[in-house]
Amino acid sequence: MKRTRTFRWIALGLLGLYVLIPVAASVQFSLEAGYKGRLSFSAYSQAVAEGGLGTSLVTSVKVSAGAAAITLALLVPTVIFVNLCFPRWRAVLDAVSLLPLGVPAVVIVLGVLGAYKSVPSVITGTPVILALVYVILAMPYSYRAIDAGVRSIDLHTLVDAARSMGAGWGKLFSRVLLPSLRSGILAAAFLTVALSLGEYAIASIMGFSTFPVWLVGVEGNNPYVAVALSICALAFTWILLVTLAMAGSGRKRRSTGFGAGLVGPEVEVEISPSPEDEAVA
Amino acid sequence: MSSASTTRVNSAGRGARRRRPWALIGVVPFFAYVVIFLVVPAAAVMVEAFRANDGSLSLTNISTVLSSTQPWLHSYGISLELSAISAVLAGILGLVGTVALVSSPSRMVRRLVTTGCGVLANTGGVPLAFAFIATIGNAGIVTHLLADLGFNPYYHGFSLYSFTGLVIVYLYFLLPLVILLMLPPVEALRQEWREAAATLGASPRHYWQKVGLPVLTPPFVATLMVLFMDAFAAYATAQALTTGSVPLVPIEIGSLLAGNVVTNQANLGDALGLGMIVIVGAAGALYVFVQRKTARWLR
Repeated sequence: MKRTRTFRWIALGLLGLYVLIPVAASVQFSLEAGYKGRLSFSAYSQAVAEGGLGTSLVTSVKVSAGAAAITLALLVPTVIFVNLCFPRWRAVLDAVSLLPLGVPAVVIVLGVLGAYKSVPSVITGTPVILALVYVILAMPYSYRAIDAGVRSIDLHTLVDAARSMGAGWGKLFSRVLLPSLRSGILAAAFLTVALSLGEYAIASIMGFSTFPVWLVGVEGNNPYVAVALSICALAFTWILLVTLAMAGSGRKRRSTGFGAGLVGPEVEVEISPSPEDEAVA
Repeated sequence: MSSASTTRVNSAGRGARRRRPWALIGVVPFFAYVVIFLVVPAAAVMVEAFRANDGSLSLTNISTVLSSTQPWLHSYGISLELSAISAVLAGILGLVGTVALVSSPSRMVRRLVTTGCGVLANTGGVPLAFAFIATIGNAGIVTHLLADLGFNPYYHGFSLYSFTGLVIVYLYFLLPLVILLMLPPVEALRQEWREAAATLGASPRHYWQKVGLPVLTPPFVATLMVLFMDAFAAYATAQALTTGSVPLVPIEIGSLLAGNVVTNQANLGDALGLGMIVIVGAAGALYVFVQRKTARWLR
């Protein structure tokens, strides 16, 4: 058994190094900023002063918030209605929500630019189109997060109880369903935001200066600033996703299921037979 | 809801409850959205691929893509090679990591690793490319370290801004994905099976040959398909790292769209896109097929 243990630690250790070295090296790279052995935060202060940072960040934040808002407005009612009224359609919606995985982002740009040439440029000529498309890109993950949330509550009983006590549909949504679906909703929003903040292909091809697009432009002039900002971006996404993981496991993995949102279909739906099994794992 | 309808609906049972036509309104926006922003664009690419500049139906674009005098077939070759190598390499290394992880008795380690994998599998794009430039780019920290030790990899044919470099960076987000996807099937290898095999006189090698590997093969193939699709469609990392010097299909499509490449064929990009849909679709189909076979082992 000693051989197994050695093998285990070597394998996990090497994987750990592979993960950590680029992070550590980037931090050192940005702190040295070209002067070996002399650490300073100059790359970071330059980054703040870099022209265009503010505007590109604002664009990215607006697009992400828009995408998250559309995602929730579209998916939460849909998933609730389907579970409540058409349980048999669930498989269909599930399959449809996976479709974006089969269409590469570049192809979506090709199609949107080709199919909607004649649509007023208010939509296709502004970052609004990015928010609209990111909803699709994030759908395999956001749909799963919300669906897992809805399945984890006893929807029929909640609806019956609320209705029998005289709550209208509006009150049912705002007072009963939305609060009990909080973590699933939060997971879907987080995942959409994380994806939207980092998306590069579509934004750059369509010519919108979101944060990642702007960052690539900076790299040519000042790699230290670009790396410093990359560290910040990575840190931000990681915090977002770890928070999500914590929230998911804190509730006995009841509602969100970390794997559900993040890796989506593969783990939650296809490989693990049911959410319960995932909890055991 | 009138009392009469309540009784009727209740007697019909749970599945049929509250089935009212207006509830369809709840699903219509979803399907409409998917049609507008996914189905129509994808269909447009497929149709436009078969249209010549004057709008007539023709195979000009397709034959241009497939022509050996044009660079496009070569791009497909590079893209396929890159995705296949990255997928297989990540698959094998990741499987080793997964087996190591499962044999670890510490629940802490396992939870930490699975959470970390969930996060890392979603890391990618521009910041990751830049992190690797800072590490083993030509002025990277590790490059300097190796140069100080007398071995500058850039003097020995290595470059991060190349095919090899892309594989190294892709592994960073593909490996965690393998662990996430292979953990359930590897965990499902039951201890009893191993004991049963041992009781019947099987050596550990026999056990892996006759039980372990056959059970793990379908989920492993499915995982390879996911990795392949992920790598094949990736754009940001390659663009940020190589600025187009490795001619992958998505990058070529991007250049065509951005007008960096001049051709007299308006719909050439669509023909290239059609090829991507076909390849990703084939990988997806294989995934679904294999996945069906897997499900029963995981009960």
